[in-house]
Amino acid sequence: MNELEEKTEDVSMDAVEDGQKEEQKAEGDSGLGMGVLFFLVAFVVCFLSCWLLFPKVLYSEKSQPFNFNHRLHVEETGDCESCHSFRDDGSFAGIPKISKCLECHDEQQGDTKDEAFFIKNYASKDKEVPWFIYSKQPDCVFFSHAAHVKAAGMDCKTCHGDIGDSTKCKPYEENRITGYSRDIWGKSIWGIKKHSWDRMKMDDCAQCHEKETGEKGSCFQCHK
Amino acid sequence: MTKEQNKRKKHVFGMVIDLDKCTGCGSCMVACMSENNVPFREDESDKKRSITWMRVYKLTNGKSFPDTEICYLPRPCMHCGGHGDHGHSPCVSVCPVNATRYGYDTGIVSQIYTRCFGCRYCMAACPYHARYFNWWDPKWPGEMEKYLSPNVSPRMRGVVEKCSFCYQRYQAARDKALYEGRDEIEENEYQTACTEACPAGAITFGDLNNPDHMVYKMVQPDPHHTRKPLNPKAFRLLERLETNPKVYYISEREWVRKAGDNYIKGEWEKLNKNHGKSDE
Amino acid sequence: MKVDRRSFLGLGLGAVAGVTVSPLPWKLIDDVSIWTQNWPWTPVPPDGEVTYDNTVCTLCPGHCGISVRKINGRPVKIEGRKGYPINDGGVCLHGLSSLQYLYDPARVKQPLMKKGKVWEKISWKDAITLVTGKLAELRKKQSPDRLACITDTDKGTISGLFERFLKAFGSNNFYTISSMDKTWEKTFKMMHHSGSSPGFDLKNSDFILSFGCGFIEGWGSPVHNFKINSAWKENKAKFVQIEPRLSHTAAKADMWIPVKPGTDADLALGMCCEIISKDLYDTSYISGFTKGFNDFSNMVKKNYTPEKVSKTTGVPASKIKELALKFAKAKTPVAIAGKGRGYKAGSMKEFTAVHALNCLAGNINKKGGVWTMPFMEYGNWPAINMDSVASAGVSKPVIGESGSVAALFEKINASKKSPVDLLFVYQSNPCFTMHDVKAVEKAVEKIPFIVSFSSVMDETAEKADIILPSHMFLERYEDVPGAFGLVEEVTGLCVPVAGPVFNTKNPGDSILMIAKALKGSVASSFPWENYHACLEKITGDIWDKLSGDGYLRKDANLPYLRPDADFSFAAQNTESVKMEGSEGSFPLILVPVDNMRLFSGVFASSPFAVKTVSDTIIKKRDILVELNPVTAKKIGLSHGDYAMIATPKGTAKVKVHIFEGIMPGVVGMDEGLGHTAENIFIKDKGVNVNELVGPVIDTGSGLDAAWGIRAKLSKV
Repeated sequence: MNELEEKTEDVSMDAVEDGQKEEQKAEGDSGLGMGVLFFLVAFVVCFLSCWLLFPKVLYSEKSQPFNFNHRLHVEETGDCESCHSFRDDGSFAGIPKISKCLECHDEQQGDTKDEAFFIKNYASKDKEVPWFIYSKQPDCVFFSHAAHVKAAGMDCKTCHGDIGDSTKCKPYEENRITGYSRDIWGKSIWGIKKHSWDRMKMDDCAQCHEKETGEKGSCFQCHK
Repeated sequence: MTKEQNKRKKHVFGMVIDLDKCTGCGSCMVACMSENNVPFREDESDKKRSITWMRVYKLTNGKSFPDTEICYLPRPCMHCGGHGDHGHSPCVSVCPVNATRYGYDTGIVSQIYTRCFGCRYCMAACPYHARYFNWWDPKWPGEMEKYLSPNVSPRMRGVVEKCSFCYQRYQAARDKALYEGRDEIEENEYQTACTEACPAGAITFGDLNNPDHMVYKMVQPDPHHTRKPLNPKAFRLLERLETNPKVYYISEREWVRKAGDNYIKGEWEKLNKNHGKSDE
Repeated sequence: MKVDRRSFLGLGLGAVAGVTVSPLPWKLIDDVSIWTQNWPWTPVPPDGEVTYDNTVCTLCPGHCGISVRKINGRPVKIEGRKGYPINDGGVCLHGLSSLQYLYDPARVKQPLMKKGKVWEKISWKDAITLVTGKLAELRKKQSPDRLACITDTDKGTISGLFERFLKAFGSNNFYTISSMDKTWEKTFKMMHHSGSSPGFDLKNSDFILSFGCGFIEGWGSPVHNFKINSAWKENKAKFVQIEPRLSHTAAKADMWIPVKPGTDADLALGMCCEIISKDLYDTSYISGFTKGFNDFSNMVKKNYTPEKVSKTTGVPASKIKELALKFAKAKTPVAIAGKGRGYKAGSMKEFTAVHALNCLAGNINKKGGVWTMPFMEYGNWPAINMDSVASAGVSKPVIGESGSVAALFEKINASKKSPVDLLFVYQSNPCFTMHDVKAVEKAVEKIPFIVSFSSVMDETAEKADIILPSHMFLERYEDVPGAFGLVEEVTGLCVPVAGPVFNTKNPGDSILMIAKALKGSVASSFPWENYHACLEKITGDIWDKLSGDGYLRKDANLPYLRPDADFSFAAQNTESVKMEGSEGSFPLILVPVDNMRLFSGVFASSPFAVKTVSDTIIKKRDILVELNPVTAKKIGLSHGDYAMIATPKGTAKVKVHIFEGIMPGVVGMDEGLGHTAENIFIKDKGVNVNELVGPVIDTGSGLDAAWGIRAKLSKV
C-alpha cells in the first residue's frame, strides 16, 4: 500500500514538474496557460489515482484463516474432485467440510506452521474452517456444476484457473459496495479478460453458452 | 449441455388440477409459501397485497340456499405460452427489463428478482392476478429467518414475484440426472411443492409434451391447437384470450367449467354443442 | 502568469477528463446497480447438504408422518412423509408451517415465574425446587387430592407419566379435554359393552352419511380423510353431508342435506324408523345379536316417523325416506357423527342414534363398515409405589362428577374456596378452547397455584404461576399412539429433528425431575433415569421397530366377531341437548364453524395459516359472521356492515358476510380466532366464539355437548 502510494505521489510530482515546463513555454499567454496547466495537473492526478488508488479503496482485503497449499494436495490426491466433490444428489459440495479434511488429517500431516495451526484450531476441535470463497456467486445465482463438469465435461480450470497449482492463498478481496469477491469482476479493474477464468460475470457465462450451445439460455437456467 | 443435447425435445411443464377432488384446505398455499420463502405480515387480510403465489379461490354457482354450490379453485402462475404458444406471454411481452422471460426449454415463465425494477407492467398485463408486488421489505420475526431455504432467493422490497413451478426443484432434479449420467429426468423427480403436499391428490404435474406423463393423459393437449384440452371435462382459465396457460382444470360440473371464462348470454350453450370449439 | 477563473475551470475539466478515462465511473455504475439488487438486510440463507429426517406431527390428533428437509442440519421445510400409513406424503397446512411454531416468538424461552403480574426468569433447578416445595406441602397436609392435572389426551407415555405422577402423589384428578372420541367411546360402551374406540373403514364404504362431521375441516385424521375423499370420487362412493351450512365438507359431498341445527339425532332416528318400518335392516344381525331392539323399534315408530321428524329437522319427509332407503340398500354404508373437527364432545342421544343406523345396516366389524377397535395396548408400566398418603388420596372421588374438565371448573366456581390447590396444565389451553371462556378464566384464577408445561405463552399459560416450558414436537421424543377413526393400529414416534431452540425440556423429563425431587414413594415410582429411558422401557418390545422405522403398523387386532348391539339407551329417548337462551330475546342461532385453515385446538394458527384465511372471515381485526341474505335483509344488514352479536353469554362486535350457503336464521362464526395471548400474527383478530357459547351438559354422557347458542344480531 505504502509503496504504491509513494509511487503515485512520485508520478504526480513528475507531472507537476512537467506542467511547470509547459508553463514556461506558454509564457505570455498566461490565462490560458494556467488553465491548460491546471487541466493537465488535475487530469493526471485524477487519472492515476483512479487507476491505482480506486481499486485499493474499492476492495477490502482479507486473508484466509491460514495458508492452504493446493499444489501439494493435488499432488497427493491426484485431482480436484477428491476434495471438491459432488454429493449424491448431484449438487456440488464446494469447499469441503472439516469432516472431509479429517479423512486424512485425523493427525498432523507434515510439519508446516499452517498444518499445525489447522490441527490446533480446527481439526482437533472439529470446527469448520471459515474459508473465504474466491468464486462465490451472489444469492440469486444457481450454478450447476453437474451440467458443466459432468454433462459438458468441462475442466475446472476453464472457470477457476490455475488455483490448483497455487502453493499459497492469495488474499480475499471483497468489493465494499457489492460484497462480491473480486474474482467475479476479475483482477483487472478495467475488466479486461485474457483467460476464460479471468472473470465470472453473467456476460461471461452467456458468451460461453452462446458459443457452446448456440443460445444464451433462459434466465431461470442459472437464476433463482 | 452441448449443441447436440440442446436439440433434444423441449419440455412443456404443466399442471392439471382436479377441482372435484380439491377440498380448498389450503395445503398447496402453505406448501408453496414454505418452499419459496414467501414472506408474511401482521395483517394479510388485504388480499390484493397479500403475496400468495398459489391462491385458492372460492367459486359459487350463484344460486340461493339450499341450491348453493361451492368449488375451490387453486390458482398458481399459468405459465402462459401466449398467442400461438410462441412464448409471448402477457407479462413477458411487457417487461421493459427482461426480468421475466419465457423458458423455451421448459415452458416456464421466469421471474428474476434482482433484475426486476418494480414497474408492475406485468401485474397489469397478467389476466390471472398471479403476480405480486413486494410493497415492503420482508421480515421474519424472532429467529424465523433460520428456516429460510437457500434454493430460492428471498426477495427485496420493490420487486414483483410469482409462482415459478418450483423451478429450483427442476434444477435439483436436473443436477441429479446429469450427475448420474442421464440426459432426462423422470416424471416423479420434478414435482412442485403444492403437488406433493396436496392431501387430496388433486394436483398433477408433469410434461405436457410427453405422452407418457399423467398430465398429458389427463387433458390430452391438442398439439395442433396450442395444447387446448381434448378432454371435454378439462378447461383452461380465460381460454379465449389465447394466453395458452399450462395449468388445466378438470371438473365434472358444468357450471364450474363455465366459470373458467366469460360468456355472453347463450354463448356457452352454443359453444358446448360444438364440443368446446367455436363456430369459426 | 496569473491565476484566473479559467484556470480553475481547467482544473475541473481535467479532473472530469481524468476520471472519465479511468475505470472508476464504469466500475462504480456496475457496482452500484448490483448493490441496489442485493440489499444487505435481505437475508441470504446459507446453502449446504440436503438431508431428510422423519418424525410425526402432533399438532392435531391426525398424527401424520412428516419429513423435515434440512440444509446442513438446519430445518428449512416440512414435507409429508411418503409411505407413512396415515398420510402417505400428503400434509396439511398446519403441519407444513410447523417450523413457524418452532421459531415462534411467542414461545416460552426458559422457565418463568410470576412475581405479581410480571414474568421473571428462573433457572430450571429453582423452578423444580419451587414446584416440589408446593407439592410436598400438599402431601404434608395429607391432601394430595388437591392436585389436579389437565392434558389433551390420556394416550402415550408423556400423558401416562402425568397420570402416573398424580396416582403416585395421591390424586385421582387427572382430566383430559373432552372431544368426540370420548362420546364415541361412551357410545360403544353403551351399545356394545366393550372398551373400544370406533374404526371407520370409510375407504371401503360406498355410502357415507355424515351428521355434521367436518370431514374435510379437520375431523379425525384430516389428511387421511382428504385421501379417502379423493378415493370416493374415483370409486363413485356417495357421501352425504347433513349440516345447516354449506361447509367445505358439504361442498365436496355428493348430497348436502341442510338440517336445522341440533336436530341431527332426530333425523337419524327418523331414518331408523323408516328402515325398521320398511324392514330394510339386517335381520340376521338384529335378531341374533341385539338387545332392546323392540323397545327401540316401538319408540322410533311412535316418536320419529319421517313426517314428525320432517317438522323438527326441516328436511322433507320424502327426503328422509329416500335417504333411509339409500342407506339401507347400500352395500357398505357407514354413518358418522362428531360436529366439525370433533374437538368437543357430542350428545349421547345423537351418537347412539347415528350408531343405531350402523347397527341396523348390520355393517359392524365388516369391510367398509364400523369396527369396534380394542384400545391399543402397549407399555408395561411397573406397579406404582403407593404410600399411605397416596392411598388415602386416591380413595377420594374425582372432583367434578363426570370427571370432565368442564365439571371440574363448574365445581371450582361453585365452591367458595377452590377444591384444587395446585393445577398442572399440559398441552391444553382451556382458557381458549372451552365453552364460556369467562367462567373458565374465573375458575382458573381461583386455583392458588398453576404449573404450566406449555411451550408457548398461550391464554392459559398467561394465567399460570410458573411455566416449565416444553420442547415443541419437532424437538422431542414422544410415542404417538394411533389416530381417531382409523381401522389400523399405527403407533408413531416423534424424534427430535431440530433444536432445542430455547431452554426448554421434554415434558416427560420435567415430570420425572419433579417426581425425583419429591423423594420417597413418589420418586421410587419413577425408576427411569430420564424420559428417553422411560420411553424405551415402556414401549418395550416394539421400541426397536418404532425407533428404526419411525412407526409401527400393526394390522389391528380386529375383533372378527360381530359384537352385540344394545339399543336400550337409544330406546330411552333421552332429551336432546338444548341450546341456551329463549327464542323471544334471541331469534337467531349461533353455530361455531370449523375451518381447516384456522387451527382451533391448543395452538394458535401460524402466520402462514392466518395468511390463507379468506377476507370473508377476517378483515383487519374484525371477524365476519356468515348470514343468509334473507336473514340479513330482515335485520337490515348488508355485506361488510358492522353488527353486534349478543348471546346469553356475552356480546361482541362483528362484521357481516352474506353467504348463500347458510340456513336462514343461523349465524356461522369461525373457531380459532380472538386469541388474547401475545402473538402479533393472531392476537386480537376477531372474536373467540367460545366466549359467546356456554357449556350445556348432556344428560347421557355428563359431558359438555353444546353445539350452539341462541343469538341476536343488531346493526351498529
